Amino acid sequence: MKRRKFLQTSAAAAVGTPLMLNGMQLGVLPSTGFLKKIRPENDRAIVIIQMLGGNDGLNMVIPLDQYDNLANARGNIILPENAVLDLNGLTALHPAMTGLKEMYDNAKLTVVHSAGYPSQNRSHFRSTDIWTSASAADEFVSSGWLGRYFDTRFPGFPDAYPNVDVNSPIALTMSSLVSETCQGEASNFSLALTNPFSLSALNQGQDSEPPDTPYGDELRFLRQAIDQTNKYNDVITGAAKHGANTVTYPNTSLGNQLKNVALLISGGLATKVFVCSIGGFDTHANQVDTNDTTIGNHANLMRTLSDAIAAFQEDLYRQNLEERVIGMTFSEFGRQIRSNASNGTDHGTAAPMFLFGKCLSGGFVGENPEIAPDVAVQEGVPMQNDFRNIYGSLLMDWFEVEEDEVKSLIFDDFEYMPILDPCTQPGKYAGKAPVDAFELNVFPNPVVDNAEILFESEDERVRITLIDGMGAEVSVVMDGKLYAGTHRVPIETSRFPRGNYYVRVQLEGRQQTKLFVKL
Amino acid sequence: MDRRATLATLLGKSKNKSVQEDSFMPPASGLDPYTGPWGPEQAAHLLRRATFGPTIEHIRQATQDGLDGTVANLLADIPMPAPPLNYYYEDDPYCAVGESWVDKGYVQGDSNLGNIRTMRFRSMRAWTLDQMLKEGIHLREKMTLFWHNHFVTADEGEPMYTWNYINTLRENALGNVKELVKLVTVDAGMLRYLNGNQNRKNSPNENYARELFELFTIGKGPQVRFGDYTNYTEADIQSAAKVLTGFIVRFSNMYNEYYHDISEYIQSYHDTSTKTFSHRFNYATIDNADGEEYKLLVDMIFKKRECARFLCRKLYRYFVYYKITPDVEANVIEPMSQVLHGSGYNIKPALEALFKSQHFHDMLNVGPMIKNPFDFIFGPMRACYYADTIPSDLYDRYLQLRQAYDYQWKFNLMQMEYFRHPSVAGWKAYYQEPGFYRIWINSATLPPRRDIRKYFLYASSRGVPLTNVRLDVLKLVERMDNPFEPNQLIDDLVRLFMPQPISQSQKDYLKELLIPGLPDYEWTLEYNMYVSDPDDEDMKNAIDSKLRALLNGILEMPESFLS
Repeated sequence: MKRRKFLQTSAAAAVGTPLMLNGMQLGVLPSTGFLKKIRPENDRAIVIIQMLGGNDGLNMVIPLDQYDNLANARGNIILPENAVLDLNGLTALHPAMTGLKEMYDNAKLTVVHSAGYPSQNRSHFRSTDIWTSASAADEFVSSGWLGRYFDTRFPGFPDAYPNVDVNSPIALTMSSLVSETCQGEASNFSLALTNPFSLSALNQGQDSEPPDTPYGDELRFLRQAIDQTNKYNDVITGAAKHGANTVTYPNTSLGNQLKNVALLISGGLATKVFVCSIGGFDTHANQVDTNDTTIGNHANLMRTLSDAIAAFQEDLYRQNLEERVIGMTFSEFGRQIRSNASNGTDHGTAAPMFLFGKCLSGGFVGENPEIAPDVAVQEGVPMQNDFRNIYGSLLMDWFEVEEDEVKSLIFDDFEYMPILDPCTQPGKYAGKAPVDAFELNVFPNPVVDNAEILFESEDERVRITLIDGMGAEVSVVMDGKLYAGTHRVPIETSRFPRGNYYVRVQLEGRQQTKLFVKL
Repeated sequence: MDRRATLATLLGKSKNKSVQEDSFMPPASGLDPYTGPWGPEQAAHLLRRATFGPTIEHIRQATQDGLDGTVANLLADIPMPAPPLNYYYEDDPYCAVGESWVDKGYVQGDSNLGNIRTMRFRSMRAWTLDQMLKEGIHLREKMTLFWHNHFVTADEGEPMYTWNYINTLRENALGNVKELVKLVTVDAGMLRYLNGNQNRKNSPNENYARELFELFTIGKGPQVRFGDYTNYTEADIQSAAKVLTGFIVRFSNMYNEYYHDISEYIQSYHDTSTKTFSHRFNYATIDNADGEEYKLLVDMIFKKRECARFLCRKLYRYFVYYKITPDVEANVIEPMSQVLHGSGYNIKPALEALFKSQHFHDMLNVGPMIKNPFDFIFGPMRACYYADTIPSDLYDRYLQLRQAYDYQWKFNLMQMEYFRHPSVAGWKAYYQEPGFYRIWINSATLPPRRDIRKYFLYASSRGVPLTNVRLDVLKLVERMDNPFEPNQLIDDLVRLFMPQPISQSQKDYLKELLIPGLPDYEWTLEYNMYVSDPDDEDMKNAIDSKLRALLNGILEMPESFLS
């Protein structure tokens, strides 16, 4: 608690003192003295793996203590209890994820339980927009969360880039499409790259000033795209030639993408964000084999993901690059708890995220989702961790962005989550303890009309919401400061239809959800 | 929270200039008929947008026919093309070489089905490219592609129902949208692609129902409260999924003794309950109507005016520009949607109004569309009469078309292929904020654009030019008004491939490619020598290489990426 208060105070004092260093403007002055010695342009990178289509989190990270209820709801696709890879007696990974299991054992994998956002949107496209922009469900934002961060660090981009100080592409998408995550207010910060060796200069044609019309605007964009591609050619092919891979990667699209990422980092490219993707998660049908649920389409995806990440991490380890890279997976939504009759699952709500790398706390953020004994069609896993808290915490701990700035870049209700470990670099939020879960109860449960929510808090801000089985935030019970102590907060549910509901309590840096049944 | 304002604060005084510059808006003109001048520039603009690119002769023809005449030609009823043929595969026992395979089913369990299907897909890809290359002044192929991008399916491994699906789109490309939605809803390929074939009474699969609302008909409005997307709700998706239960795809003896995957209604799979919809549909109910019930659902959705607006916005982004400002919404989309709704969703009157409108021909709308990969490369191919210059022999023609289309996966690398969309929402360039058309262009797609251009201009094998693959630049130039005069030649080529005039220095640069360091009259002399003795191979090659360099120079300028 003290640490946070100190930071808020010092950040407030520093606002309005922009600093120029190496020709680059820092949005906000670093909060502590020793940080001034650290290059603001650190050489850390984030690797983002986007799992396209909506991943079935309940068959990726299996809540063992919910197994019976889960088997009830998804008998035709559930993985055999004795086949899954037990992590800690409570939670297991898909049997195909042997590589990630080993990383978990070495504290190089953190499982973020039930990541999502309030009032989940179940459209692929809209929800992808929400995850890439880090907007709220009811807010349209056309820029990406990292794009906005880059806007503050690389003003004016792409004019005058690359330059002496920033000569690497700021972000790379390892496919033929630039990433919406890196979309700034004016331009996209990511270059798309499929083969780091196949670049050669493009002719731009002859210059003449484009007119100030829509035509001229698009022409200017085209010239800039060609110009950028040409300018970054040398640095990318140079890094590719100098870099190395020290392990054999699985010959999958994702394997090759991550192989190229490691190659370029190894070759000295100082790109801050690499975006990879793997498709095929929209498993409405034939998610598992009819005779053996441990094989099939989803199992192949799980293996592809796990093998590629494990090879990548091993490659970084052998080249002593682990402390420069942190990785993150996400998908636009999880899938429904009940399976359908086609051995598949339909669009759902929250799902786990993985964080991977050496500089992690490891373990879990949050707890297993609770599965009700009787799950209706369309019910999803309720959100426990707001994904924007994960994004913002990465920005703070990995890119050393101040908390106030994170709030303006991501969202006002941002809560810092201590998910990273300092590694050997003196990180800003070094030495924090792992997150402790806390007791949360609803009494009585099932609920007829009235009940009480029981929990303890420190002297801190508390936000309590009620969420229905579809993921809708049906009520904000309270949002404000509470004194330290045990609390009994009454709720009144007479207007709710019967069914499964969840209480979610968000404290500062911790949250918990609890299932209750409304009769 | 106003994130843009917040950001501006963070950026302080160093605010990116292009933030403000990036605000050129489409003009405020509306759907009133265009009454301005009509010449080759205007004709070329219309044809570049409504076809995969004009030839010099198309522009001449359209200039002569006038705007009304040209739009009438674009929308005319024309016969369907003959279907694709088996062009070489002798081991297809159901379809002889030279016959069309589209109605030739299989014997169930034939061990050679894999090869037969591969052959038929190759035939269909070659044939599809042929349609796009040889179509004259007509809108059908461009609208077929529009619907293909609107009702996305993947090939799912079976050429016969891929054919049925694309043939349905082509037959109805200029027909009635509502009827087309009904056909697509029970199309075998679509049932499989969006799991409609697994949607059963006791285990509804809502995949198709969701996309029917969100992508195919009314579109998703803002989420005003949880599960309520302004135009429809999550509950409506559940009810619609129930309406749609009962269809399967199965191997059936459609053609006597031979079999073919078709869609079929199975009554016992159908949910016969009365389905109730939300306040967004005035609590409408649909009673059981068995295999015809889905039509009632489509009719119910299309009663909403918003359907017409949604479709008109998609057409606008396909044919005009990606920015839909409040002005465009009020002055173009709204009146156009009135025309569409008023005609009972016949597409022709709405397109006619758009193509004849002041807005479409407004100078500010000429040029800001970044060509998609098809327009980018089919344009030059059509301008050089590619469909006429390749062999007419069945095998050679299909082979060359197939190779042109499959060339080193360039279309895949450029992110656009027939029968292969990135997702059910279609190509991002037509829906993804804020980039839209700009999404076609990046450091990964630019090199294949360069490579495919060079391939069609300079293809060679072991140093020997592949003249059968290369664009015939002489054929293009000899049809121009005055190929003897280099300045006019360049002006006319620029008008063919670029939406707006270019500067004098750019023209000078291009002329240097044609006649490096020489006075204009030298071109006239040289071209005269070629024309007076076209059998002189050396002279012909010399002229050809100069024209090729000029065309390459034009096509690599970013101005020619625009339409």
